[in-house]
Amino acid sequence: MSAIDIHGVAHRFGDLQALAGVDLSIAQGEFFSLLGPSGCGKTTLLNIIAGFLAPSAGTVVVGGRDVTSLPPHRRDIGMVFQSYALFPHLNVFDNVAYGLRVRKAKGEDVRARVAEMLELVRLSELAQRMPHQLSGGQQQRVAIARALAIRPQVLLLDEPLSNLDAKLRKEMQTELRRLLGNVGVTTVMVTHDQEEALGLSDRIGILGAGRLQQVGTPLELYRRPVNRFVGEFVGHANLIQARANGSGIFEAAAHFSRKGVPLQLASSHAAGGDALFLLRPERIRLSASSTDAQQTNPANPANSVAGVVRDASYTGAELHVTVTLPGGGELVVEAPEANFAEVPRVGAPVQLAWNADDLAVLPAESKGARI
Amino acid sequence: MRFPVSLTLSRVSTSGNSLFSWLLLAPGMLFLAAFLVVPGILLIVLSLHDVDGMLMVLPTYSFSHYIEAFTSAGYIRALGTTLWVAALTAVLCVLLAYPAAWLLVSTRSRAWRTVLYVILISPLLTSVVIRTFAWIVLLAQNGLINDVLRRLGLIDAPLALLWNMKAVIVAYVQVMLPFAVLPLATSLGEIPAALPRASQSLGAGAHHTFLHVVLPLTIPGMMSGAIIVFALAAGSYVTPLLIGGRLQPLLPIGIYQQALQIANLPLAAALSLTLLVVTAAIAGLMSYVQKRWERRVYGH
Amino acid sequence: MATDRDFTAPVSSIGWRWLGRAAGGLVYLFLILPVLVIFLSAFSPGAYPQFPPESVSLRWFQAFFDNRAWLKALQVSAWLLLVVTPLTTLLGTTAAYALARLQFRGRDVLQAFVLSPLIIPQVVLGIALLYVLTGMGLSGSLTGLAIGHILVALPYAVRTVSVSLASMDRRLETASMNLGATPAYTFRHVTLPLIKPGIVAGAVFAAVTSFGEVSVSLFLTAPGTVTMPVRIFTYIDQTFDPVVNAVSAIFIVLAVLALVLIERTIGLTKAM
Repeated sequence: MSAIDIHGVAHRFGDLQALAGVDLSIAQGEFFSLLGPSGCGKTTLLNIIAGFLAPSAGTVVVGGRDVTSLPPHRRDIGMVFQSYALFPHLNVFDNVAYGLRVRKAKGEDVRARVAEMLELVRLSELAQRMPHQLSGGQQQRVAIARALAIRPQVLLLDEPLSNLDAKLRKEMQTELRRLLGNVGVTTVMVTHDQEEALGLSDRIGILGAGRLQQVGTPLELYRRPVNRFVGEFVGHANLIQARANGSGIFEAAAHFSRKGVPLQLASSHAAGGDALFLLRPERIRLSASSTDAQQTNPANPANSVAGVVRDASYTGAELHVTVTLPGGGELVVEAPEANFAEVPRVGAPVQLAWNADDLAVLPAESKGARI
Repeated sequence: MRFPVSLTLSRVSTSGNSLFSWLLLAPGMLFLAAFLVVPGILLIVLSLHDVDGMLMVLPTYSFSHYIEAFTSAGYIRALGTTLWVAALTAVLCVLLAYPAAWLLVSTRSRAWRTVLYVILISPLLTSVVIRTFAWIVLLAQNGLINDVLRRLGLIDAPLALLWNMKAVIVAYVQVMLPFAVLPLATSLGEIPAALPRASQSLGAGAHHTFLHVVLPLTIPGMMSGAIIVFALAAGSYVTPLLIGGRLQPLLPIGIYQQALQIANLPLAAALSLTLLVVTAAIAGLMSYVQKRWERRVYGH
Repeated sequence: MATDRDFTAPVSSIGWRWLGRAAGGLVYLFLILPVLVIFLSAFSPGAYPQFPPESVSLRWFQAFFDNRAWLKALQVSAWLLLVVTPLTTLLGTTAAYALARLQFRGRDVLQAFVLSPLIIPQVVLGIALLYVLTGMGLSGSLTGLAIGHILVALPYAVRTVSVSLASMDRRLETASMNLGATPAYTFRHVTLPLIKPGIVAGAVFAAVTSFGEVSVSLFLTAPGTVTMPVRIFTYIDQTFDPVVNAVSAIFIVLAVLALVLIERTIGLTKAM
């Protein structure tokens, strides 16, 4: 039995269809992320699971129980809010104990459980502090302890790390993994940060314009995105529109090729007709070209092209190089800086190559089809 | 266009403590010194003057008026009743303010919220006599309530609704309710929406959430409102005079009568200073409690 | 977001919610009841209002304008309003600016002091002023009344201008003075235009407060300087005259108009 089952959930805000027909099953103990840009409906979906919004259609089943018409306080969920929402008039101990006291737990049980939770988030010495005396990171840990104290069936996290600065965010990611790995509760997290989602989740559901675009493990989403939206949202992407030329090779659209000499792409995964290829920047091999930049390498015509460096930025660990192709189009390459003796100069001729397996096929779209 | 440039650069102080600012402070301060501070001091002096049998002020001083204020059964009763009525009014106002403030804060339609604000604030901009008069029209023997009750056949003879303390309190509550609603609504509106949701996510229903989360967090607004209503009610004389009659045992009425009808100004002064000090002490205490709560919860 | 102001979720406790709303509605009805009564009476043909009303009549408004004594009271109140409003606004604006810009120990105390007439029992203010003005020979005079009105209205003006000052960008003043302008010049050409809403709101409060002031005025009037509210008071106290209903109705309409003005300038929520 899955921990959460969502069937056909939809939600309208007046004229706006925020969610349209979402179906999702989340397994027991799984860490599931809802990922997407702002306005995609992920927070709406989380609020529907929590019970703060009633869906316009569809059902929500938690632990085998249909909770769609149940108020939030009867759903046995725990939630950590983006602003942490600690009760300012209660100290840390009373905050964590809140849910237990609502359930009329006995004094010693409350004390024991709160102590256990504070130990888990490593804040035992701060039990008597008031929320305004805590730092952002500390407040968040209290919020987590408070939500877990009641042993919920499901833990919901609403953009838990977005209010923290970059360094703290990395630390808290590790901390979250440790905490939730320990506890083993089914977790649903909402975030717009794909690195966060990729790093923490067992599976990710990508939402775009109110629909689930793809659900899968981080690896599946990264390597085999099902459409352009997912491909561009998760990681960086080079997108190449191409058409089959009848002999098993695809010829890229004009601005990727030189007039009369098209960029050829060979991929075992694509059928005939039109295709949109996705190529990850770190999969492109870049080497200096000693031959004329306008000629393609005759030995291996497909999956290789010559170009000219337009921009090269050095990030410390990597080099991000933007290469202009003969037809005017561009490809972005990311490579470890160790591969280079020096940073490529703007205007330098280079040779790009990649493997056929590195090309992901996305459904070809008509002009202007965007999410 | 030329503009006056300050020649002494040290005067171009961006901290604001310029001579100009001090000059601007002067007129207001002078006015208040002349017509608030000086009268206050003179009032204290006046209250210590003796009066002769003809109620003429004598050049001698004594505490006789204060002794009279604190030993005369009439005045003690008046002070006690005044404080009691003020406290009761404050409590009733706070109780009624909660549903009113909640409605104000939770109304989504901008049009309706404006209507509610108009209902709340326009009474504050009309004269207190008018607001009191309306109650007379309602409660008088041939007033509206009696008229309606009689036509509905519920009573034969008109009820004497005026001239008692209950009517005064009802009028007080209606006149001063807006002062309780507004700060409470502000407090209520400042509660982040996530807090009641957090409470619900932890298993608390609406009732528990209200008692343990919303209510405590509205303490600053509630106290502000209670203090204002208490102070206003303690010093009110127009309303109780018109609705309750001159025989109501309220200190402000006594002061008014002593000053304008009996013309015993020193006694009136002593009584009013007594009222002021007692009211200020109670209001100060309530304010202290409120500040302490705010410091504990918000750190300032 | 549409759900931001939900205190209870739509799926739960709908019963509590509607109960709360009904209770709130009843309170507002209680608040507005006297106003309704006044309008009912002001337009009723008889001396006492009927509910439901039988017909509408303007005779009491007519009677008001026909009555010499009422018109004299209106004149006194109008004179006071025209004198008190600009003076209060001036004193209030300068004081508010000074208090907002100056930094010194005890500034907060001074701020509380300036607002104190709001909570000092008006009966105490009345007596104190009566005594002092009598000593100055001004008791019962229009000047004395004006002083009393200014004292009571000043805190309102200070408050509204302070609100405007607080929401104004101070860096504009700093920029002006960095360019070489004197503080006085800056005040006139930078600050004043920016705090105009607060000043206007303060003027409206001052006008309305003066026009309706009675608790302090009762100590300061004489037979020749009777204001409208004082006259209403003596009238209610001694006789029953339905003209008072008409007068009250006019007051209420003026109050609502003043409200609209204040809302247009600094907004009602910030004014109180």
